Order: sequence, then structure tokens, then C-alpha cells
Amino acid sequence: MASQSDPITFLRYIDLDRCMGCGTCESVCDFIHDGKPFIKIYETSIGVKIPLSCMHCSKAPCIEVCPTGAMRRDESGAVYVDPMKCIGCMACLYACPFGVPELDPDLRVSTKCDLCMDLRRQGLEPACYAMCPARAIIYGEPRKVSDEIRHRRAEQLVRARLEGMITLG
Amino acid sequence: MKFTFMCKEPPSIVPGRGRYKIAIVGGGPAGLSAAGYLACRGYEVHVYDKQPLPGGLMLFAIPEERIPPENILEGIEELRDKFNVEFITKTKVFGDSKPREDEGDKLVERIVSLKDLVDKYDAVLITTGTWRSRRLHCPGEEGPGVMSALEFLYELRIYNKGYIPHKPHIGNRVVVIGGGLSAVDAAMEALNQGAKEVIMAYRRTIKQAPAGVYEIRKLINRGVKWMELVSPTRIIRENNRVKGIELQKMKLGEPDESGRPRPIPIPGSEFILDADTIIEAIGEIATPPFENEYLGVKADRRGRIQVDERFRTGNPKIWAAGDVVTGPSLIGSAVKQGLYAAKSIHLELTSKKLV
Repeated sequence: MASQSDPITFLRYIDLDRCMGCGTCESVCDFIHDGKPFIKIYETSIGVKIPLSCMHCSKAPCIEVCPTGAMRRDESGAVYVDPMKCIGCMACLYACPFGVPELDPDLRVSTKCDLCMDLRRQGLEPACYAMCPARAIIYGEPRKVSDEIRHRRAEQLVRARLEGMITLG
Repeated sequence: MKFTFMCKEPPSIVPGRGRYKIAIVGGGPAGLSAAGYLACRGYEVHVYDKQPLPGGLMLFAIPEERIPPENILEGIEELRDKFNVEFITKTKVFGDSKPREDEGDKLVERIVSLKDLVDKYDAVLITTGTWRSRRLHCPGEEGPGVMSALEFLYELRIYNKGYIPHKPHIGNRVVVIGGGLSAVDAAMEALNQGAKEVIMAYRRTIKQAPAGVYEIRKLINRGVKWMELVSPTRIIRENNRVKGIELQKMKLGEPDESGRPRPIPIPGSEFILDADTIIEAIGEIATPPFENEYLGVKADRRGRIQVDERFRTGNPKIWAAGDVVTGPSLIGSAVKQGLYAAKSIHLELTSKKLV
């Protein structure tokens, strides 16, 4: 188990400019978790649909408040629940700014996205990232994720500033 | 899209144990997701598709600025090269009668009978999607200058890929009828193609538009004109060329079966809008590989194949999933159906093995 101070090796970022709200992430997550997706699409009042899931915070308040040490961080930085230690008190839900941890009424424990721990152990990628048609989900080492985001913004800036000149000129 | 997101390699095959063969009809998001699951389980998977490449609407209709084509192509290549999924392209599968003409049939070179597939394979999954557009059925609709959103988007894509020599003709003043995602995509591409004016005409208000307020506002910012509470009554032609469209004003009434307020025509409110191109984006219809009923597989009035909760049809060897079951939906819904249908096929074939 990693501690809160260990370096984070993976980050998942959802590029809302690219996301179409198509729900593929929710579908694949639903499929591999037998009907219980941990990334879900929410439709907002302006008609935009966006996926919401655990942010795997670097200073995760859910880990801080968990009274039994069930909320933990794995060696790659993903925040996950150890169901053997969890008592289902949902203090993690109170602490989470995004309302992510969810009570599993059958298992009576808190459940949440673990960035596809099982798949990652086999050398695979989180399913939502692997299957997103729009490449709206960026995942990897934090510095690379930031670079990719800024690269995309650079493209947008150039298009906004220069494309008109090229096509009109 | 990594359709084989659940495994690294195909499982090794035990010699002497025959592999089950599965045919998937239609290589869109549902078919390809099913192919990925089944390839991970070690099945021999053949995907039939009427286009020169699988990918369905993700490659042949939805604009590239939404879905980067290489993201789909890489997933297809992996299925083909690493998981030995065979793709039989430019091939339309249909019941043994004369095939129905759908949209996107332009590049089809071969027709294969659905019955042959059922005889040849251990299981067949139908994921043929929605390749027919609803039409307005108003006077003046037949002839040049009027097309469906799917037809326009499809022909633009196959022209850009070099499959056809001519671009679909887009005039200077384009009216797009509809308020869904196809309408939004068609309006956006019409603008990209250099139309001077693009008008979206929708019979309800922006609040009810299935594409959502945000997508429509984004288009308005790019120069598209939004016109709401109007419905077309006829298309006006002069020397067979489109000259305009007559629209009737509408008002909102009580909610209809869709839960949205019903648009009610206001008599005598007709007016004419100048236009030289009309794009109809009023919805798509399921296109099963047969008419009405075939080999025990039934489609409803809207072409949707009837399945049970495990995606089984009336034929024990045929499953169906995706938009051909649900009608037009989102990629995520097709992916989900494809995955669960594939799992259902797997469970069926493995239980057979034990008997």
C-alpha cells in the first residue's frame, strides 16, 4: 500500500471539450462491474452530458477521514476501497467534494472507481480510457497528461487565432 | 477504441478442440465491441460490413472533429492483426430475397444471404444499426437539392476518403430540418463546406431539442441561424431546382407520448424561406438485414429487431444488439448492448459445450 505522500504515477483527466456525452465510458464500466458503473453520465441543465467519476485526488479527503483505513491508495496512485476493512459508514462520501463514494447495499461497503485495478494488474488500461471514441479521457503519468491537455489547447488557440486568416486569405 | 480492453492477447487454443465460429453482421460500435469481447474469449470472429471499412457511423457519418478516425482505425487494426478477427467488407447481408435499398449502400459489391451465415456459423449477431432516414413526405421533396443528413454526412466522408469522385452538392442557402445530433452535425458540415447561410429549423423550441441547448448555441456562435417552432409543409421548386421551403409556425401543446410538449400547427401561418438545399434530419430508422420477419427473427414497425433480455431473437442461433434493436441512440448504448449480447452468446455456447 502506498502512503498519501508517495508520488502519483497515474492521472485520469476528462477533456470536456472533446467529450460527446455518448456514454461509452459508463457502458464499459457497467459491463466489467456487472451492472454497477463507477463512471456515470449526468445531463446538466444546458443539455450537456458529462461523465463523473472519482478524481483520485492527490490529497484525498476520503482517505484522511476513513476511520478504519479501508480507503487507500495503490502503488500507482489510484484511490480504492479495501472491502474487508470498510464498515460502510460513508464518512468518505461526506468528505468527497464530488459525491463519488457509493454505498453498495448488498456488500454494505463503500464502493468507487479503482481505475480498473484488475485490468491494470494484467498490464491493461482502465476500460473507460481504452474505449472512449472521442479520446476525451486522458490517462497516464501526470506530466504527460498535462502536456497532452496543453497540446490540445494549443491546437484550439491556433485554430481560433489563425484558421480564419488561412481560409479567408 | 481498444475493443479488446479486457485482454492482452487472444487465449491460446487447445489443439484438437474446435473453435466456435461467430458471424457479426455490421461493424459499428455494437458489432466491434462484441467482436472484442468474443476475440478475448478465443472465438473465431468474422465481421461483415457493407462499407469498405468497419466502424459504422463512427467512421462514415459522425464528423471527424468529434471522433478522431485513427482512434477507431487503430482498434480495428488490433482486432484484425492481433486477434485474427476477419473483416468481410463491402458486403451487405440480407435475407434471401432481393435486398432492401438503404442509405450507405453505394460501395456495396457483394450480397450474402443471412441464411448462409446461420448455416455456416455457430452464432450470428446482428448489429446493422440505423441506415435509413425518416423523410418529410411533403410535396417537392423528390429531386435534386434535398437529402437526408445521413446521406449528406456519409457522402461527404466517402468523398473525403477518395471512394467517390464528387462531393455532395451543397448550395449557398441550406435549411436543415431537425433538432437532434444528426441535424447539428449536418449543419456544422454544411458550414464547413462553405455554405453562405445555414438555417436550422425545428418544430419545438431549443429547450426540447434532443441535441441540447449547448450544442445548438455553439452552432449559433459559429454562424448558424436557429429557427424554432416551425415545420415544413412543402418544398418549392423552379425548373426542378429547389428555390425555397414553406414552413408553418407551430405552438407547444400538452406533452405527447415522448413526454415533450406536442407541436401544434398554427393554421394560416405558412411562410416561405429562400433556400437551395434542404437537409432532412428528422431521425433514422433501424435497418435489419431482412424485411419484417425472417428465420424466426422479427422486426417491429420501425424495423427494430425484437430480442429478449439476453439479446436472443426468435431464432436460437441469432442474436441482435445496438441501434437495430433500440432505434437511433448514442454510441455508449450500442457498445453496452454489443458487450452484453456477446456475453450472452458466450454463455450459450459454453453451456452447449457441457452437454
